[in-house]
Amino acid sequence: MQLLSPLRLACGVTSPNRLVFGPHVTNLGHGRALSERHTAYYRRRACGGSGIIVTETASVHDSDWPYERAPLAARCAPGWAAIARACHDEGGLALAGLGHTGLQGTDAYGRTALWAPSDVADPLSREVPREMDTPEIAEIVAAFANAARLAVRSGMDGVEVDAGGRALIRQFLSAVTNLRADGYGGAQRTRFAREVLGAVRRAVGRGAVVGLRLCCDEPGTPGGITPETAPAIAAELAAAGAVDYVVVVRGSLRAPDVSRPDGHVPPGFNDAAARRVRAALPSSVAVCAQGSIVDPRHAEELLTEGPAALVEMTRAQIADARLGAKLAAGTPERVRPCVLCNQACQVRDPRNPPVSCIGDPYSGHESHPPVVPAPVDDPVEVLVIGAGPAGLETARNAAKAGHRVRVVEQRERTGGMLRVLAAGAGLGRLALLADWLTAECERLGVRIETGVRAGAADIDARLATGGVVVLCAGGRMGEPGYPIEEGAVVHDVAELLSLPEEELRRRLPAGPATVHDPFGGVSGVSVAETLAALGHEVTLVTPDHLVGARIATPDDRARALARLARARVGVVKRCAVRGAAEGVLRIEHVHTGETGEVKGGFVVECGFRLPDDGLWRGERLGMDRAGDVVAPRGVYEAILEGRRAAAGIEEMYR
Amino acid sequence: MTGTGRFPHLFRPMRLGPITLANRIVFGAHPTGYAEDGLPTERHAAYYAARARGGAGLIIAEEQSVHPSDRPRERTIRGFDPAVVARHRKVTEAVHREGVPILAQINHNGGQSTSLYSRRPLWAPSPVADPAFREVPKALERQEISEIIDGYGLVAGHCVEGGFDGVELQCAHSSIVRAFLSPATNRRGDRYGGSPANRTRLLSEIISEVRRRIGPDLVLGVRLCCDELVDGGTTLEDAIAVARVLEASGKVDYVGASIGVSTAAPHLDGASMHIPPGYALFVANALRRAVDLPVIGAGRFKDPVQADRALADGHCDLVDVVRGQIADPDFAAKARAGAPEAVRVCLSCNQDCVGRVRANRRLGCVENPRVGREFLPALSSRRAGRDVLVAGAGPAGLQTALAAARAGHRVRVYEAERAAGGQVLLAASTPGRAEFGVLVRNQLTECRRLGVRVEYGRPVDAELVRREAPEVLVVATGARPRRPAWGRGRERVVDVRDVLSGRVRPSGSVLLVDEVGFHQATGTAELLADRGCVVEVVTSAMVVGQDLATTLDLENWCVRATAKGIGETCDHEVVRVGECARTGRLEVELAYLPTGETSGRTVDWVVCALPQAPLDGLYRALRRHPSVQTLRVGDCVAPRRVDMAVIEGERIGTSL
Repeated sequence: MQLLSPLRLACGVTSPNRLVFGPHVTNLGHGRALSERHTAYYRRRACGGSGIIVTETASVHDSDWPYERAPLAARCAPGWAAIARACHDEGGLALAGLGHTGLQGTDAYGRTALWAPSDVADPLSREVPREMDTPEIAEIVAAFANAARLAVRSGMDGVEVDAGGRALIRQFLSAVTNLRADGYGGAQRTRFAREVLGAVRRAVGRGAVVGLRLCCDEPGTPGGITPETAPAIAAELAAAGAVDYVVVVRGSLRAPDVSRPDGHVPPGFNDAAARRVRAALPSSVAVCAQGSIVDPRHAEELLTEGPAALVEMTRAQIADARLGAKLAAGTPERVRPCVLCNQACQVRDPRNPPVSCIGDPYSGHESHPPVVPAPVDDPVEVLVIGAGPAGLETARNAAKAGHRVRVVEQRERTGGMLRVLAAGAGLGRLALLADWLTAECERLGVRIETGVRAGAADIDARLATGGVVVLCAGGRMGEPGYPIEEGAVVHDVAELLSLPEEELRRRLPAGPATVHDPFGGVSGVSVAETLAALGHEVTLVTPDHLVGARIATPDDRARALARLARARVGVVKRCAVRGAAEGVLRIEHVHTGETGEVKGGFVVECGFRLPDDGLWRGERLGMDRAGDVVAPRGVYEAILEGRRAAAGIEEMYR
Repeated sequence: MTGTGRFPHLFRPMRLGPITLANRIVFGAHPTGYAEDGLPTERHAAYYAARARGGAGLIIAEEQSVHPSDRPRERTIRGFDPAVVARHRKVTEAVHREGVPILAQINHNGGQSTSLYSRRPLWAPSPVADPAFREVPKALERQEISEIIDGYGLVAGHCVEGGFDGVELQCAHSSIVRAFLSPATNRRGDRYGGSPANRTRLLSEIISEVRRRIGPDLVLGVRLCCDELVDGGTTLEDAIAVARVLEASGKVDYVGASIGVSTAAPHLDGASMHIPPGYALFVANALRRAVDLPVIGAGRFKDPVQADRALADGHCDLVDVVRGQIADPDFAAKARAGAPEAVRVCLSCNQDCVGRVRANRRLGCVENPRVGREFLPALSSRRAGRDVLVAGAGPAGLQTALAAARAGHRVRVYEAERAAGGQVLLAASTPGRAEFGVLVRNQLTECRRLGVRVEYGRPVDAELVRREAPEVLVVATGARPRRPAWGRGRERVVDVRDVLSGRVRPSGSVLLVDEVGFHQATGTAELLADRGCVVEVVTSAMVVGQDLATTLDLENWCVRATAKGIGETCDHEVVRVGECARTGRLEVELAYLPTGETSGRTVDWVVCALPQAPLDGLYRALRRHPSVQTLRVGDCVAPRRVDMAVIEGERIGTSL
């Protein structure tokens, strides 16, 4: 595979392969320093086969404090040193992400005015920055150089300079944000970037890596950088800093995170821009492809037939830290898929959640001992009831430890809620995780029986012989919380989405439909889209001020809204459901108490679920439970608890 | 007249179980975000000590969690961790040095929480998801109920060791105990659910355990939610019945009376200026009439007059003055000294207290930049006695002036207009927001006390600076509205400031364009609607007034907007504005951002709330002045909110 072949960069440094773990917000820091959690996080990826690790972008100057745990370069030396050692131990390269978010930061932490090329307000945060004067520009240029010098002195192999979707450098490059009339504006908009890159190169010397993360498209802000104008910028900047590689990304004031969209955006959105940039650069400069690249085949294609010499597969390696190793071992099918859900890895959130992954909740928690069962000498017979994510993860880990595992699932297919959600519009990728869990279980010798309903007798039998039962029976429809009159049709979303499409069409009367989504996540939007695609006139009722309030990033939320708009889904905000009658849903404004009605032949209820715990017998030796049967929540919790249940099997008999 | 004479009720000492309080002013428990690694800090100690020094009768330290299953916020204090004890001692010693007792609030938030930090299922009486956190909790097993009770006991023990004078159980706006008490969240079929006696069982068992741990010599208080205001939830009558049980137990020394569930109606937990002061007193009153236990009344007590009145009228025995004492730690002392007009009165703006804490940041106060920084030595000026001229008497200029004067400089403020306050005055002129203007009154009071001269109708220019030759010029000239490109040449496309200042008086139909997302557009919309205009607010954001949520003002904006017939249109941007040749009315073309589809409006006026531009001409002209050190603060640096104006003013004023 080209992906696994070494690459000698222009500066003379050789990457062991083409697989890059790109810079991203982790919230793993301690204050504004990189922490042991960072080191453990990056070490695991380096060990798993990542050729180049780019650490979380550090602010080069204290005028920039964009989120509470944003690293500050001046405090990163010990962290960089530890990370460099860790990556080098594993044979990989370590580069320091360096940046300044300019007007896209916040004054909430630093409590000083934001710095920017011009006093253009951020349309999302609405904060107005102040225009930097010439000495301040020089100060930031010097700060980039100092940070780069510090990184290399700490043992890093080089730096990656951020001129992407949230970068001050991009704000200087773009006519949307740079309105200056002095020598840094107009035709001189690239000057600041050139000065930064030149200073950085001088600071690190000829033998260190200098990468450039360059925004090549600014969607949603007319007049900005486009794939047509970006190549010339790339060429100019690459020359200014003797840049070793350019990562082609996109992003704008209106859509800063558009280079890491959820699965609704098909991967490959940056490929065309990368091709243009490739054509404009000398061959000594490598192009690094970026943008939802999660499939090794896509990566290989970009390397062999496309523009790229490097491929950034960040989320793919959050999902499976051993991506490279598994490819090297010739077992690509064993790579745990990134499903592009953005649920646990998008952590630019003031609550400071640590980066993690719904498929691998150990991600981001590597500084703690893993919750996986140790191999056992005296295996136990394990009965897992339910083959949803919790059940499969329990079985997978128990089998890995050497236990003899049998999974019984009452449905015809494994995967539980993963399959249910995957049946909705735009969420099909979730099925990949169900497939992977099932395949891994089978590989490990787990006996999976589908279409079999377990009962109390099965539990008794297993317990009687000294075995273990783990109940992963999932959830069931909750009480809707409103009266349902005769003639009203209220469907459980899970039940509906479990049906094959033809059956679904048969079951649903033609005409208008109402979706009640008191949660506000991706699923309500998806169900509304599904019904609209089936030809129904759909109304989505939410108690929130906006649709998809719980969708991870503002970019993903805006796209969800756009999809609903295109599908002509009506949205009723700030309303709770007070009753369902034939052809009508009675609603009440949650703040004003005003009542009203929504017409619709049937209602799809996406409300909170209840544990399906009829078989649970309370805490007792030999029995445990995991996932929705404990309390219906998400895939992340199901997988985490599945692991814990598997680890607990050994403990039960210790 | 002294305070004790003027406020006879407020300063009458009282017994609270085993201890005596010097007065009736309580600094009640509230989250601060000051904990580090789950433990109290010196920031806490100095923060509480400042309020004790300022005369509070009783301090109640912020909530501690009794069990690892409960970590609703990143900075929740882990009361069950033995390491808290040493930290508690630092806090209690600091407060006791001022001669004031301090209690510890302990709690388990149950389902009103997140598993984000604990990575464990939430615990609750029944699997009923909280309306805000939206995470289905795990119904507690019998054994887990015992664990929770043990947790209360353990933590109460830590509080005793840590030197607290007692413990308060938060069974109110966010608590597993409230969830057990309430039929809305307790659906259990065992002895902890069903009948009122069963639902009260957990509380009774916790009280027995905590009292056993703290012994007879410390205080045990219970803060109750007296009306949940949710369907099928606890009513005032239910709460009274619970209070009677508490009284009958003989183990409880007082009850706190609060209202609402913080995750269902947060705006009743930290009510903003739009909700009348004393809004929750009726529940305190009802409890007080039902039981003989002392009752703490809560709910936007902001000045001593009002607090004394609540006591005089018999609504409660003690008053919880939280934000009032955040804004002014010397609230009680000033009242006692008979100078209530010197109190830096809380605005109830919620921007930096409620707003920051809810965003997982440290508590602050727009009026008091020292909040949370009491543990740091006050900045002292290197060179006192400098001659300082401040240009502009908005919040930044006034704060600079009073901070500089405090540091010993000679300060005068020249304001071009006829009054101080800048945009604060305009903001305070919209319906329901008059209290915001108190900021300026407070600053002027302080300036007067410090001998700062404020002169009006005196614009500052280079010539004046040359003539007066101050050593330091601080430019605080504020910001000006930015005119949108699409409004050029249209006289009836105006800024909210034009409306609020009275420069124009729109009538008929008005389209308000909200690109700021705070009170500017919504406040002006209300003003115009009150004057009889037909008003619609349009914004490119997903919510009109998106940041009103941070100050708990969004819910009530919705209610008022509906009542006043104000329309809200989200996700739309103005493309162009034309003028009908025949009628002269404005024809506005809007684009729906998700699809790009356009639609039109025909209106009489368009009023804009847009990001402003700094008025920094004076600064730019003089910043390289050879003999006058020229600095700038506030909106003329970058137009922001009032908290930044005050913070910068304080910073510059103290560092001259």
